[in-house]
Amino acid sequence: MENRFGLKDLFLFLLVCGLIVLVLLQMKQYDRQWQVVQQVRNQVGDQTSDLARIRRMLEQGAISGPNLATTRQSNLDVDKRVRRIHSAADFAPGDDVVDVLLAPPDKLTPLINTDLYSMQIQGYVLDTLIDRDPVTLGWVPRLATDWKISPDGLTIDFNLRQGVTFSDGQPLTADDVVYTIQLTQDEKIEAPAKRVYLSKLKSCEKTGDYSVRFVFKEPYYMAFEVVGGTQVMSKKFYSRYTPQQFNESTGLLIGSGPYRMADPTDWKPEPGRPIELVRNERYWGEPGGPNRLTWRIIALPAARMTALRNGEIDMFYHPAPDQFDVVKNDPELSKRYNTFAIDTLDGGYYYIGWNEKRHGKPTYFADVRVRRAMTMLIDRQRVIRDIIRGYATIATGPFNPLSPQSDPSVKPLPYDPEQAQKLLAEAGFTRKNNALFGPDGKQFTFEFMYPSTSDTSKRVATFIVDAMAQAGIVVRPAPTEWTVLLQRQKERDLDALFAGWGGGAVEDDPQQIFSSSAIAGVGDNYVQYSNPKVDAAIEAARSTVDEAKRMEIWHEIHRMLHEDQPYTFMLTDKELDAVDKRFKGVEPTKFGIVTLKNEWYVPRSMQKYHD
Amino acid sequence: MLTYILRRLLLMIPTLLGITALVFFVMAMSPGGIGGAALAAAGGNVRGAEAARIRAYYEKRYHINRPLIVQYGRWLNEISPIGWREDDEGNFTTFGFKSPSLGESMERHRPVGDLIAESLPITLLLNFITIPIIYAIGVWTGIRAARHRGGAFDSIFGFTQLAAWSMPTVWLGVMLITFLASNQYLHLFPAAGLTEMNASQMQFLPAHVAGHWSRGWLADVCWHLIMPVICLSFGASAFLTKLVRGSVLENLGADYARTARAKGVAENVVLYRHVFRNSLIALITVAAAILPSLLAGSVIIETIFSIPGMGQLGVEGARFQDREVILAVTLIGGIITLVSMLLRDIFYVLADPRVSYD
Amino acid sequence: MTEINVSMLTPPADPYPAPNAGYVVDAPVSFTRKVLRLTFERIGAQLGLAWIVLIMVLAVFAPLLANSHPLAMKSNGQWSSPLARALTPTDVTLLITFFAALILWRLKRIRRATRVWTFIGIVIVAAAVSYFTVKPPLVQVYDTYRNGLVSGEISKAIFVPIHYSPDDHQRDVEDARLKAPTLVHPMGTTADSADLASNMIYATRIAISIGFVATSVAIVMGVVMGGLMGYLGGWVDLIGMRLVEICESIPTLVLLLAFVSMFQNHPDQALYIMMVVIGALSSFSYAEFVRAEFLSLRDRDFVHAAQAGGLPLWSILFKHMLPNGMSPVIVNASFGVAGAILIETTLSFLGIGLQNESSWGSLLEQALGAGGNVFWWLAVYPGLAIFLTVLAYNLIGEALRDALDPRLNKMA
Repeated sequence: MENRFGLKDLFLFLLVCGLIVLVLLQMKQYDRQWQVVQQVRNQVGDQTSDLARIRRMLEQGAISGPNLATTRQSNLDVDKRVRRIHSAADFAPGDDVVDVLLAPPDKLTPLINTDLYSMQIQGYVLDTLIDRDPVTLGWVPRLATDWKISPDGLTIDFNLRQGVTFSDGQPLTADDVVYTIQLTQDEKIEAPAKRVYLSKLKSCEKTGDYSVRFVFKEPYYMAFEVVGGTQVMSKKFYSRYTPQQFNESTGLLIGSGPYRMADPTDWKPEPGRPIELVRNERYWGEPGGPNRLTWRIIALPAARMTALRNGEIDMFYHPAPDQFDVVKNDPELSKRYNTFAIDTLDGGYYYIGWNEKRHGKPTYFADVRVRRAMTMLIDRQRVIRDIIRGYATIATGPFNPLSPQSDPSVKPLPYDPEQAQKLLAEAGFTRKNNALFGPDGKQFTFEFMYPSTSDTSKRVATFIVDAMAQAGIVVRPAPTEWTVLLQRQKERDLDALFAGWGGGAVEDDPQQIFSSSAIAGVGDNYVQYSNPKVDAAIEAARSTVDEAKRMEIWHEIHRMLHEDQPYTFMLTDKELDAVDKRFKGVEPTKFGIVTLKNEWYVPRSMQKYHD
Repeated sequence: MLTYILRRLLLMIPTLLGITALVFFVMAMSPGGIGGAALAAAGGNVRGAEAARIRAYYEKRYHINRPLIVQYGRWLNEISPIGWREDDEGNFTTFGFKSPSLGESMERHRPVGDLIAESLPITLLLNFITIPIIYAIGVWTGIRAARHRGGAFDSIFGFTQLAAWSMPTVWLGVMLITFLASNQYLHLFPAAGLTEMNASQMQFLPAHVAGHWSRGWLADVCWHLIMPVICLSFGASAFLTKLVRGSVLENLGADYARTARAKGVAENVVLYRHVFRNSLIALITVAAAILPSLLAGSVIIETIFSIPGMGQLGVEGARFQDREVILAVTLIGGIITLVSMLLRDIFYVLADPRVSYD
Repeated sequence: MTEINVSMLTPPADPYPAPNAGYVVDAPVSFTRKVLRLTFERIGAQLGLAWIVLIMVLAVFAPLLANSHPLAMKSNGQWSSPLARALTPTDVTLLITFFAALILWRLKRIRRATRVWTFIGIVIVAAAVSYFTVKPPLVQVYDTYRNGLVSGEISKAIFVPIHYSPDDHQRDVEDARLKAPTLVHPMGTTADSADLASNMIYATRIAISIGFVATSVAIVMGVVMGGLMGYLGGWVDLIGMRLVEICESIPTLVLLLAFVSMFQNHPDQALYIMMVVIGALSSFSYAEFVRAEFLSLRDRDFVHAAQAGGLPLWSILFKHMLPNGMSPVIVNASFGVAGAILIETTLSFLGIGLQNESSWGSLLEQALGAGGNVFWWLAVYPGLAIFLTVLAYNLIGEALRDALDPRLNKMA
């Protein structure tokens, strides 16, 4: 027989390949173990040096009991809620809060991150100059102890707290604040979204080691909020990286907050790997309850439910209404988990935009009576009941109901099809064979555009189609891919659009959406709504620095928009959460609960994760 | 032989160019253009003039405002090992050898090379587990059916083969998840994903850790892959059995087999020593078509079972019109297809001494 | 007659198919009739044909099987037929086509060619006339019938077997979404609170039209391309083969997704655009067969005779060479229809494709709920329908191939 490369040689070859692959995999596993060992070694090294330092200082008598207390005393103006909650009798530090995310955040490095998850995680690591009390919504000091705003609103001075260090021990001074602002304004850094907020800033200078001054070009009502909300980054740490390295990094996160990343330089978004924050022992305020905060990544909703059932995750932030109901009604799950449905300031609103001009001619929706009739033809309560399972409230305007901008006296238009028909008849519509015909004799039909990827939108669209059919209006549903939708928005080439605007800000600026200046060009007033009174009011509000007076103007605008109904404001979602019952101190606030995990604690007997 | 291989490899280049160019221009012509959706997402919560400024920034950064030919040319320059080097600003500096790179994803702002390095092994794992299985099933069943032609096995086989081949993969996946992987019926398998959540903490092999039994990373991945592999191998193995059966039958009736029987060789030996080798030829010629169709099938499987492989990456890239990701996925898919065709031709030579390309 | 190359991309032929009664010498019968008889003698093909006829009947009679409009209704002492008034031009055309075909098939006395042309004529006229004359009501509210029955406005109403239309979302019922099968809804309800049985029946139309249109487009394009490549040879062939290679190596799903955005601007024509795109992408395999056929036919005597006679190119290609090379195309056409249905299923499942009408694929997609719940009726019924349809076409294709290949080898 010839010595040809035959079948059995092929088998041998494949076998050898398989063995090599197995060996490679084993080596990779070994690698991982080695990395973990390295991390542990680093931590031990850190602790040893800390201990050594403390011992030295004790020997030299540099610190003693009473002194420690005074440094703590001076920080009593922050973390008041944490202190109150942790004064409970069964308080014990420790345990881990395991949360779940739908997808890994792309980046955790500050400034260049874009998604909400990364912002949530960064909130525990980085500190801001000032903060909002989650219940009263007033400003409270954080890294800044006090501040002064000049009468014309153009100059703001902050005094920084002394004795604050980053989690690596470096002190936090005014240099770091100035560095952060400079970095944000650097064109080479990929942070265009954050940069625009600083566009009205003229200068930021340190006026002392622990004081900073911001000067603005013109009076800007959000000036204080923007600069006060700067998350202070460490100059010593971040200046080591070039802009290119900074932009390409995925996990450079270090700050002065109550938690820190175990390794501030090494994090990559791998699908299977959870994100972990550990306690910052050097934190200058009241320490958080849990020792660790973990976020697991589970993409598929079904798998999330399974994980919840198995107790592999402790909480469930923002599930879909259907899932939330499953948790609430399942006997086993409701025994283990507390469920919350909270109205929050973070909730944006869903709306239907009625385009008032198309192809150069006014549409039926240019008539305010038609728009009001449209709103009255939609049973918003039923939409909430059927599609959101009741976990939402009807929206009456662009301002979140919890925000001081919203006028509480404004009540939503009722669901009243008969009244709507009367309004339409007034506007010149006639009914023939069950169908509605406009004043120009054409049949009343329009195209209803909505994002094709959203299941909620699809259900709302079918609801609207049926609701309008009852009134004699033929609606053509048009599910549209996101890019095309944005394009049509830009070109003002649509009839009606179902979409939502996100929330997140306590005070929201309606100029981009409702002012006449935003109709042309790149503005977002794609329904081409124009009311000179509203324009004037928005202008006035934006340059009023006095908060009380400004809120009056916002209320006026709210009432005017409710009268005019440029949108049918549909609903504002509630925040839905499910949290393991072992966590105490979970108090719903106007910001929800998910940014306040440091307030929670688990009594020692119920702790699950020990380390 | 070597020259033949070299010639085929060189011929691959214009084909790959054609594939990537076609996909690129189709993407460019669809509404939103290149990077449409990715840029839209980048605006975040900012509105109006600011959002436009942000979009302008990203457009400049990813050269979307340049003519299409220029964008395509830039990409070619990026992936070739010889070309102009680029500095931070995006200007070209020297010409010479450089390290090829696949660019940066517009939607995730990460190097595409990293994304592919993370997802390609998973897809390849899925497909490479499937291929031996379908060949094993196909060969065994096909030979059995051919040997007992007309018998019970053969008739049942005939019908089930066609039924299995007609089964929509999507339906099979959904049925498996519904009845075997949900909380309402049997929960034998996990419904989704490639690994459990705490995979990185697991040891490689099954072990007894901290008082309870841990499955180990290897066994865990295998357990997660059972249902996807079943779905993927269903149709292909049916196809292969029919092929093997036909081919074996043809050879069993050939002259040389008759001669062997006349000489007194046992039927078994006739089958396995003589006929089998010749029947393989048909199997090999079809192998080139199997891998690409498996790759296409694994896109669906990855979507149903939420496995983060390259198929999902490609689908996401197409959704967001992410130029670099789509081109990279197309390039790699094309390379795999063409290489498998070349391998098929090489195996052809090895299996059949009558064939030669020189 | 001709040699036929068996394609490797479809189930390979059985070299020793079961013998059947085709050996009897009988009166000279046309080739087509012989092939058809041999095909449908086999039980598999008969079952397949039966199923396809069943879904065609369902497609044609859909409005008479599942409709929220009553067939006859008595209100204020007056009888009326809301169902008749609500018929669309498509419904009417299909019904006329069906009855015309039935009648013409039965009239065996008239010559075949006449019957075929009459049939085509009737279809075209019916389509044109119904498009202009049949006008369903502009606004349809399904709740009025049920509410009317309850309130007494409608004293008597006779419904068709399933008294729900596919787009009847039952707004008068509080929560009808995703409910398991009951007596009222024998197959359960969908995610839009519509009746599943009704949706399944109307979805047969989409399944059938997708298969036929996509395959027709593929065959026409493939034959033209393959014919030119095979006949002309040379550099036309070289470039053509490279193009075919390119188009076959592209990951189709990615390309289809890129095409999808083109559907967005024309949601009503999305179905047709998708069919044409699927057809175009499948045309390359047909091109390859035809090319192989034509390459071998090029040097035959009758082709040389036609060339010497000075016949134009298209005549040589399509009147002389094509009838000899059609066999693999016909065989693969049946498999092609099955393939097109599968592709549409996959696309609908991924959320691309049709949005406003339900196809079996999009119904199947609703089976896996967001909360980890599963709805078995949405998994079993639509999936079973797809499976049986694909199986039917594959059975017919198999039988066709067995009828065409060895028989002709024997006859040649």
